[in-house]
Amino acid sequence: MEIILLVVFAFSLFYLSMAERFRTYTALIALQGLLLFGLACFRLREMNVANLVFLVTETLLFKAIAVPFLMYRILNRIQVNRVHPDALPGFYALLLTMAGLLLSIFITRRLDGQLIERTFMLIAMLALFTGVILIITHRRIFSHLVGFLVIENAVFLFSLAVGMDAPYLVNIGVLLDIVVSILILGLFMGRIGTRYSDMETDNLADLKH
Amino acid sequence: MTLVSALIIPGIIIRTKSLCSGRKGPALFQPLFDAGVLLRKGVVLSPVTTLVFRIAPSVSLASVLTAVLLVPMGRQDALLSFSADFVYFTYILALGRFFMILAALDTGSSFEGMGANREALYSLLVEPVFLLLLGTYAMFTGYTSFSEIFSHFYFSNNYAFIAGILGFYLLIQIAMVENSRLPVDDPKTHLELTMVHEVMILDYSGPDLAIIHFSTWIKFALYGALVSNSLVPSGWPVALQTGLFLLLQLSFGIIIGLLESFRARNKMTKNPQFILTLTAIALLVFTIMLLSSYMSSK
Repeated sequence: MEIILLVVFAFSLFYLSMAERFRTYTALIALQGLLLFGLACFRLREMNVANLVFLVTETLLFKAIAVPFLMYRILNRIQVNRVHPDALPGFYALLLTMAGLLLSIFITRRLDGQLIERTFMLIAMLALFTGVILIITHRRIFSHLVGFLVIENAVFLFSLAVGMDAPYLVNIGVLLDIVVSILILGLFMGRIGTRYSDMETDNLADLKH
Repeated sequence: MTLVSALIIPGIIIRTKSLCSGRKGPALFQPLFDAGVLLRKGVVLSPVTTLVFRIAPSVSLASVLTAVLLVPMGRQDALLSFSADFVYFTYILALGRFFMILAALDTGSSFEGMGANREALYSLLVEPVFLLLLGTYAMFTGYTSFSEIFSHFYFSNNYAFIAGILGFYLLIQIAMVENSRLPVDDPKTHLELTMVHEVMILDYSGPDLAIIHFSTWIKFALYGALVSNSLVPSGWPVALQTGLFLLLQLSFGIIIGLLESFRARNKMTKNPQFILTLTAIALLVFTIMLLSSYMSSK
């Protein structure tokens, strides 16, 4: 079952790399949250009540519901739903992601571990590359946030790959990162962004003038 | 059996689409009657065309008939089988397409040249999908000919299950792209600017056009046979295998009809991206099976 969820997760990464609408990004982030919850349930060997509560809060409530909900609210306010016209076309972004997959295979084959652990590693690395590609090839801040969320999901997959949950402090730190990034995005869109006609990250550089 | 199903599949597709759009639709064998009419007509040839234009339909038909020899029926052996015959299968079909592209260019029509250009691009992009998929099957079974691959393909674990399900999806999409159907092309369009395959054959008439239709139908049945073969159990008697094979071929026609009924055509500029997505999916399946076989060999 884990392998099926991992393959669906990989599909969501391919789709993310070539999607052009922010609503699609948001839906895919919610889907990834659900998939991570399923994967964690199958993967974690020791599951006490505290672990389960934290897992449900982190993946299901936070990644699959709260974050996408906030993202939808921001999108409704700003009325911008497409990536920047100068962003890399989906065809080339997908080619880059496929190159990322090949690089992941190369790295994964050199690691020790069981088959399923390597598959986890493979998909985690693909998620990492996809997040980086999203950030590099897009200009609007919303895409950058999505790239950051995908990288955070990759970190979660890495922790699952080694068969253990990360310490609470690390998990809480990562969650705090996401909350702060969404708050900054909300601030940028709601307060500062109204001054600009677009949501390009270049606008942030102008603020210091 | 593949040739028999080739005669039925076009009618099933049209009938399914008609029923889905609330119409009764033509008879199941109407495409055959239409082809019969074409065979009885004469041929009109443009004076600018050469021998290439005249032989292209025959080469195309010969290439798909040769490909039929390589594909087994159910878990029975194919008439022609050798190592890496799936690579030969790919390129014998490409040969037929190459001649059709040459024929389109031979007419000197800018529209047909444009269609040939698109057909060449889509074929180029879809080829890696097919080779990656069959490469995955070959790696999983340890054999490289169609007959051996299908006689040793079982849903033995989750990895095989994934390869089977995604292979099913990819083969249907490849069949759609190779036969210029939705979402990359619409065979019912009447605007030359948006045509792909249809615009390439605008100058053909009579028996030549009928031969081109036959080639397309056989190509559809070929991909349907590849889908069916991975689902027919090897332990069954030959008669039951044959029955199931035909049933699966009919289901293949219905699936194509349903897909075409509830799907919009892509924008022309989005087609390469769509086909590249298929390559990405095939690459992912290949990667996972590669990892699986690497681990089992250690």
